[in-house]
Amino acid sequence: MHRFSATKRLLDLIGDLPVVSNLGPTTDELWHAGHRDRNFYTYGSMGLCSSIALGVALSTDDKVISLDGDGSLLMNMGAIATISRESPANLIVVVWDNEQWAQTGNQASHTAFGTDLARVAEGCGIEKTATVTDEEELESALMQALEQDGPWFIVAKIREEAESMPVAPNEPELTLHRFRASYGA
Amino acid sequence: MTSLMERDGYFHVVSATREEEALGIASGAYAAGRNAAVFMQSSGFGNCVNALASLCLPARVPIPMFINLRGEVGEFNIAQVAMGRSTRPILDTLGIQHYTLDTDDRLGLRVSGALKLCYASRQPLALCLTPMLHGGKLA
Ligand SMILES: Cc1ncc(C[n+]2csc(CCOP(=O)(O)OP(=O)(O)O)c2C)c(N)n1
Ligand SMILES: [Mg+2]
Repeated sequence: MHRFSATKRLLDLIGDLPVVSNLGPTTDELWHAGHRDRNFYTYGSMGLCSSIALGVALSTDDKVISLDGDGSLLMNMGAIATISRESPANLIVVVWDNEQWAQTGNQASHTAFGTDLARVAEGCGIEKTATVTDEEELESALMQALEQDGPWFIVAKIREEAESMPVAPNEPELTLHRFRASYGA
Repeated sequence: MTSLMERDGYFHVVSATREEEALGIASGAYAAGRNAAVFMQSSGFGNCVNALASLCLPARVPIPMFINLRGEVGEFNIAQVAMGRSTRPILDTLGIQHYTLDTDDRLGLRVSGALKLCYASRQPLALCLTPMLHGGKLA
């Protein structure tokens, strides 16, 4: 499964639900797959994607989708424990797990050596977890997560494409402004 | 402070495992139209620098940070001294406004004024609390 095509498929399923995206290719590809006001792109703050999504989830009744990365989540695994402790029914974490730090040169990450983030989530007390390896599995996991209470933690195993997409032309200040305006703030 | 807030239905207190995580959660809350403050001690501010520099400053997220300054008079732990002493210089380097609260003289006015400034400027802001304010109870 490739992230760009899977991202397009995800956007088709979620209507105008908010998405928070991990820095690097995840943010760039989300922009190219479908730029919208409810995309909260991150450009830095590695490790904080799902923490930001948790903050959104605690502040709205909408289902909220975090598009995180294996490397970033490994940097802030405590975030998974906090998600479990708060247990927001409306949070869906999707980890694009390419088993590498793609953005900085495709170095193998710990998930290439046996670290299983879905089991980490289970160990933190999150019951609704799934590991998916193709778009059909991802779609059915997402449909379930959109219909049933979470928090959900879905590890999507992906393969990096040879060519990376152009950097998304975005300003962090405008991203926040658009996102807030979509919530009437 | 946290037990007072936990008893008050106006607040939702979230316990983070790490201080920069708290900045992420607070930024997400603000993105969905809600205000959030972060409480930490100066050692935890050391865990926050990149979140401030790469998220809160460029996206302009106004987060009031209440930072208990260690390494002040009465400190007993050498491991707290350097980070306590560096907190305000690092805030200055980042261009983040901060006020030190070491007396309860007109405290309400200072805190509400700082909050107003934080949201007006749409930048994070720090209120540094010293042992002189709260009677020297460290940690
Ligand atoms: C604190 C910090 N350390 C390192 C980096 C450099 N960096 C940017 S993206 C990235 C890789 C992130 O890995 P992952 O979340 O798996 O995303 P991928 O690039 O694989 O899509 C790294 C190491 C950074 N931006 N911030
Ligand atoms: Mg990765």
